[in-house]
Amino acid sequence: MANSVNISIEAPIENQIQEITYDGQEIYQAPLSMSENLARLAQKIDFSKTDDEFCNIKKEGENGSEVKSEEDKEPGYQSSLWPWDSVRNKLRNALTEVSVLADVLSIAKEKRYMVLDPIQADPIESRPMVQVYGRKKALSAAGAVLLNGVERLRASETMRMTRNMPDFHIDLLRLRQNWRLKKVSNTIVGDLSYRTAGSKFSQTGVFEVTKAPEEQIAAAMNAPGAAPSALRVTVPPELQGVAFISVRCQKEQEDVVTATLNSSALNCPGSLPGDGAELHWQQKLEAAQNVLYCKELFARLAAEAVQLDASIPHIVVGNRIMLTILPSIQLMIGLCHNNGQNNNNTEGTKSQGSYVKAEHDHVLEHSLHQLLRAVHHSNTHHPFPHPATGPLGPSKRRSLAGPMGADRYELMEMSREQSLLEQIVQQAQHFFMRRRGEYVLDTIAKEVKDPLIVSHWNALNSPTHSCVKINIMAYGYDAVCRTSLVVHVGEKTLKCICRDGKVRNLSYELQELRDLIFCQIYQHQMTGVQAVGRCMGWQLLASSSHLGAGPVEPLANASSCLLASPNGDRMIAIRCEPSVGIQVFIAQSPKKDFFVSELVQDKKWENLGGAFKEVKLEKMEGKNFLNKMELLMACLSSPS
Amino acid sequence: MGVTVLQQYPVPENKTGTYVIDLLTKRILALGATQAGQFLVDCESYLSHPTMGSTKTVHILHNSEQPASVFSILESGTKNIHVIADGLFDLLMMKLSQHYTSKKQTKIESKGPKFELGDFCIKLGSVTMNQNFKGILIEVEYRPCVMANAVWGLLREFLQGILGSTISVQPPQHLLSRMNEIYTPIDTIYQYLEHFSAYRKITGLRSA
Repeated sequence: MANSVNISIEAPIENQIQEITYDGQEIYQAPLSMSENLARLAQKIDFSKTDDEFCNIKKEGENGSEVKSEEDKEPGYQSSLWPWDSVRNKLRNALTEVSVLADVLSIAKEKRYMVLDPIQADPIESRPMVQVYGRKKALSAAGAVLLNGVERLRASETMRMTRNMPDFHIDLLRLRQNWRLKKVSNTIVGDLSYRTAGSKFSQTGVFEVTKAPEEQIAAAMNAPGAAPSALRVTVPPELQGVAFISVRCQKEQEDVVTATLNSSALNCPGSLPGDGAELHWQQKLEAAQNVLYCKELFARLAAEAVQLDASIPHIVVGNRIMLTILPSIQLMIGLCHNNGQNNNNTEGTKSQGSYVKAEHDHVLEHSLHQLLRAVHHSNTHHPFPHPATGPLGPSKRRSLAGPMGADRYELMEMSREQSLLEQIVQQAQHFFMRRRGEYVLDTIAKEVKDPLIVSHWNALNSPTHSCVKINIMAYGYDAVCRTSLVVHVGEKTLKCICRDGKVRNLSYELQELRDLIFCQIYQHQMTGVQAVGRCMGWQLLASSSHLGAGPVEPLANASSCLLASPNGDRMIAIRCEPSVGIQVFIAQSPKKDFFVSELVQDKKWENLGGAFKEVKLEKMEGKNFLNKMELLMACLSSPS
Repeated sequence: MGVTVLQQYPVPENKTGTYVIDLLTKRILALGATQAGQFLVDCESYLSHPTMGSTKTVHILHNSEQPASVFSILESGTKNIHVIADGLFDLLMMKLSQHYTSKKQTKIESKGPKFELGDFCIKLGSVTMNQNFKGILIEVEYRPCVMANAVWGLLREFLQGILGSTISVQPPQHLLSRMNEIYTPIDTIYQYLEHFSAYRKITGLRSA
């Protein structure tokens, strides 16, 4: 006990509890006043009993005077207090009897009419030896009890000393440092609920502290690993075992039956590591507290799910809540509680475990816990500054709403607050959007090799908003041309900000994102070719990103550009259709296949440039499209 | 909160207030307005106790558009001082009943239907003092604008369209000095107080 220890001290309940309100508050009876107490005690006096005793002892004279003295006081009380009625009646009876007795005595004293003869009492047959034996026997029995107790005390003390047994009081002290305890008559009870932390859950978390029997301590000491404790805590059966909130996202099942079958297979660990009986009290209490917390969380979520009106109604069945967060995506929140009593259930879950496809989502479970803690915190921590007058609790904005003359709409906005369920649905939606976005970007990056697609996810994000930057560039040409765009992933929508500053809002259908990225890829190729041409000294004759000519494209428009060699004798035409790919054509002047015909006779027309011929790009040297184009331009620039 | 103009509408000699309200309602609905609930503006006046020196009047007004606020205007001869507070101010006035006595018989209110027509919000209020009909007040609000000067022309044209050309529409006295300032809810309250004070002075009672 070298260290100083903080001990919280609570006065034991001295007053009786009159009523316990629904929120668990105890209303005590006010203590009795002095006069009330006296009246109460006076009512308890058994006058008939004392009458008999007095008759036996025959001390009537003294008794009579005592009664008389009490009798004198009596009329004052009679008038003021009704509770004294029984006392008065009994006293009156006593007075009557005493008066009769006094009369008898006075008659007897005269010795004229009545004589009192002493009655010869029967001599008590005394057998001293029997008495001695009886007393001896009783004494030896009492002595044996005492000796037995001493023996046990000594034994336990020596065992404790020699074998380092834990001390009950030290353990109790440790328990008190972390848990709320109070003494109620002969028992020690504690409270493990989150009431003091701001919870408003109705279920109580009362546990009882008892001393562990010695055999158990000895067994615990022999068992390896477990720290023995002289304490034993008993938690109510509804808080025993383990509980957790299972959150899983899954594709909507074909029919409800399979959905419920699968969802009933919530894997729940049977018990805590180590057997229930030998658990340390700290772990046991923490587990029970966790059970209580999970129950509160689930009760709250279920209430909100029922209240909230969504387009597809939420389903609350038993210990499960089913929510549709995105078309054909369900969020399933379940309360898994295993208190070790329904063992057959856990076996059933094991056999069904293989059916469950969706994994338990630890992140969303953690978010749920966090959200409820935030609610608890806000229940106890009101925002500053606190008003000197007026109610505590409303936000600063709400307190200012009156003086600032806020109108109905603003007030409605203020009073709206998101429920836990709405928040978790948003988080789940965002989680899905993010995962789908990742999947789309990764598959595109895998499919498309030519321009490289690099996506950077921002490490800093919020539970409902994250951001990815996408860079499109060609290997070796990243300095010449790169296209970058940013995608903000929200709850149900995506916002893409492209290089040209255009903002496109996409829905949760990810084909839209895919199409957008493909458009960006082809746009990148066109701008890349023009940039390479500029570097090579080629001249851009024309370019159009939205060609009107040709068949209608299923997505975006075809684009094209026309480049001329530095000395103007060669031309490259590039046409890019997102559905077909990129086609490259070349032409040269003077054209080699110019023949004088009847219509075109002059030789000068051969300079006009000939028909375009397609280049078979796949047969060309070069790592990627831009490299091929560079080689092609280099080849065409050299004087042939 | 946009600019609001309060306009008194005279009730013809042989017509009742409800008749006029019905007439105006039909006119507004014919323009394509939609009804958007009811509104209520009430005013109660308190006189200071003679022991406090010169008599002052405190007007307490409530507007259903600002349900969390209590508007109070202290008339002290030359200057009017206003305080906007929250609902607890009513309780405070009860505590002050020693110093400020309520003139119950002058409690006056304007209530009636509220209409929305595009950016305009029209309220047809029938004014009653102690259940006695006093007249009709029409409130027109143009919500996108907060500067009276910029929108006065539009409001006048709109009012004349509804009320007819026989009624002259003048900018409210209170707004004259504040034409170039940002309009706030208390400006509406001042206009109501102006009209309520005028109604209180009229002794002739009309049946609704």
